[in-house]
Amino acid sequence: MGVEEACRRAFLELQRKKAHRYIVFKIEEKRKTVVVEKIGEVDESYEDFRASLPDADCRYAVYDYDFVTDDNCQKSKIFFIAWSPDIARIRTKFLYATSKDKFKNELDGVHYEMQATDPTEIAIDIMKERAH
Amino acid sequence: MAELAEMHAAMPTTERGRGILVSADPKTPAIVYCNGRTVFIRRLDNPLEVDVYREHPAPVSVARFSPNGEWVASGDAAGTVRIWARAGPEHTLKYEYRALSGRIDDLDWSPDGQRIVVSGDGKGKSMVRAFLWDTGTNVGSFDGHSKRVLSCTFRPVRPFRVATGGEDFLVNYYEGPPFRFKTSHREHSNFVNCVRFSPDGSKFITTGSDKKGFFYSGQTGEKIGELLSENGHAGSIYAASWSPDGKQILTVSADKTAKIWDMLEDGNAKVSTTFKFSGGSGAEDMQVGCLWLKDYLISISLGGCINYLSCSNPGSPSRVLSGHIKNITAITAAAVGSGFEFFSSSYDGVICRWVYGAGFKAKLETKNPVHVKAMVAMAGNLFTCGLDNKLRMCPLPGETYGDSEMVELKSQPKDLDVALNCPHTAIMTSEAGVLLIQGSAVVSTNNLGFTATASAISPDGSEVIVGSQDGKLYIYSVKGDTLLQEAVVEGHRGPVTTVRYSPNGSMFASGDSNREAFVWDGVSHEVKMKNMVYHTAKITCLAWSPDNLKVATGSVDTNIFVYNLEKPVSAKIMIKGAHLGGVNGVIFKDESTLISAGDDACVRVWKLP
Repeated sequence: MGVEEACRRAFLELQRKKAHRYIVFKIEEKRKTVVVEKIGEVDESYEDFRASLPDADCRYAVYDYDFVTDDNCQKSKIFFIAWSPDIARIRTKFLYATSKDKFKNELDGVHYEMQATDPTEIAIDIMKERAH
Repeated sequence: MAELAEMHAAMPTTERGRGILVSADPKTPAIVYCNGRTVFIRRLDNPLEVDVYREHPAPVSVARFSPNGEWVASGDAAGTVRIWARAGPEHTLKYEYRALSGRIDDLDWSPDGQRIVVSGDGKGKSMVRAFLWDTGTNVGSFDGHSKRVLSCTFRPVRPFRVATGGEDFLVNYYEGPPFRFKTSHREHSNFVNCVRFSPDGSKFITTGSDKKGFFYSGQTGEKIGELLSENGHAGSIYAASWSPDGKQILTVSADKTAKIWDMLEDGNAKVSTTFKFSGGSGAEDMQVGCLWLKDYLISISLGGCINYLSCSNPGSPSRVLSGHIKNITAITAAAVGSGFEFFSSSYDGVICRWVYGAGFKAKLETKNPVHVKAMVAMAGNLFTCGLDNKLRMCPLPGETYGDSEMVELKSQPKDLDVALNCPHTAIMTSEAGVLLIQGSAVVSTNNLGFTATASAISPDGSEVIVGSQDGKLYIYSVKGDTLLQEAVVEGHRGPVTTVRYSPNGSMFASGDSNREAFVWDGVSHEVKMKNMVYHTAKITCLAWSPDNLKVATGSVDTNIFVYNLEKPVSAKIMIKGAHLGGVNGVIFKDESTLISAGDDACVRVWKLP
């Protein structure tokens, strides 16, 4: 499974320059590579991110979560999300599950990883709980 | 966040042939009792004020306040004692010990709050244990009992003594600390149910299933007197409680009476007042527990009622608190007269009637209590279908619930719904299929070719939806007495457990065993709200608010979620841990008030923001 150069570049831009809010990655079966499907602008909201994840197909995603901690400092953490809804096809879930580790290793600097099988598992409160 | 507005607590769990031991809060007039895995601390002057502790993994049997009122020690059926803080809603745990290897029957604190004695069922030696509250180290060895020890008591003054009584008919007296066996008495000829020191520690009483009671010296443990048999109890004496001045004692018995005895100079006691309970042939009025707290004389019946005895009127209690002992399986509500009432029915067939704002009103009298599967209250009638294969209609307001209007069903019912605007039409799901009921007759039984699990009828009675085992929703139109299939709606990924039309009939909502719910448009059958998957276990019940804007779902995972159709799904309101064991019924009173009931035998009313 290959990883397209564009993926690495987009991730570095998100991480270093804070140029994006989120990136959605897709595995293109024919070329056996991970490609960038959508890049979300900084001013896009969490709801836009949720809307760009398909209901019945798997994806990988990276989301830059900004928050204020208890001692009042502005922090930002990067979440890697393995989106694998229950209603997706078994083949798809299998493909994304086996390629996940290799892909994640390419993205150096991810703070938290999440796996979601339905929309309630990537709710904003879950992210809020995990980030500190 | 939703706020708890009212809680109608469960009643103490009772068992035929045994007494129950309740205790009091030293600071406020509150009684402490247990039901299932919950400890209830309930104010006697305002019974709607209840505090609960739900942390025990096994059914709790006894709970007692420490003498300073700060801590509560509770013991359960697995032999664990938990000591927790009285203050605060979380009741933080202070200590936890595995005190006995079997069920704990009684527990008492030493007057300085440093030691705790527990008694119960242990294997071999460990039937009674006393330990320091903060370390759990033993303070003495308690030999002398060969069977389950039903009661234990700590002398409330120094020098410390412990008295115990058990199923081996023995009453043992220990000196210490460290506690050692001193004397044993075999005055009783049957189980010793309760032993209690008087508040000044000068004597203690033991009562037993042999209908007798004996007094012993608190200092030496020698017998000094007994309850005189004239006007005495005619049945097992299950519990005893001293008056605050130690001159009188209250006892309760299986003979359906409670008696107050005056202590005499010679060490005996004679009856001064007898409180009789309605009598009748059932065992419900056997008195199994009692408490004398300042001016309150409390007696608890086998049926689970807490009776406030009145000396000026021994024939009837001044107040009776009642409710459910077992899991509540169905709940419904309606406006009755000028007030709002709700009805709950439990696993043992008891149906209770509650008034919003006031609490328990009455139990519906029934000759043969039967587990009610579903209930609907509408247009002045209460419809119930039970596991005796009958559908009953009882007019509201009414006190009895009998055979007057009854429809015979040929099979076990699963779900019931009544058309909101024409209450003579009802639809019922059962093993045999779906039954259409008009007035008081089953108009048709339709075997639809699939296993029906839930059903709903539209408010105007013209349409019926049946949910099936395969997760599909089948929509039928009602033509006279037959159902014509109109459409099939797919979407659920598990057997459908509940379906309900919105009050205006334009939408319907359904929930399934796979913890998912949907709201659909009534005409186009398109999904209006989806991704309602916040529950983590089977959805058991669903309700619409009267303004057609909110849907509440309750589940076995003990949570309730309220979704607002005008907001996104993620803006749901969560009521976490509504009922220990699972939520079995939800119903709206108005747009911002939700009533729920569940396996913990409590009914709770919530105010939504």
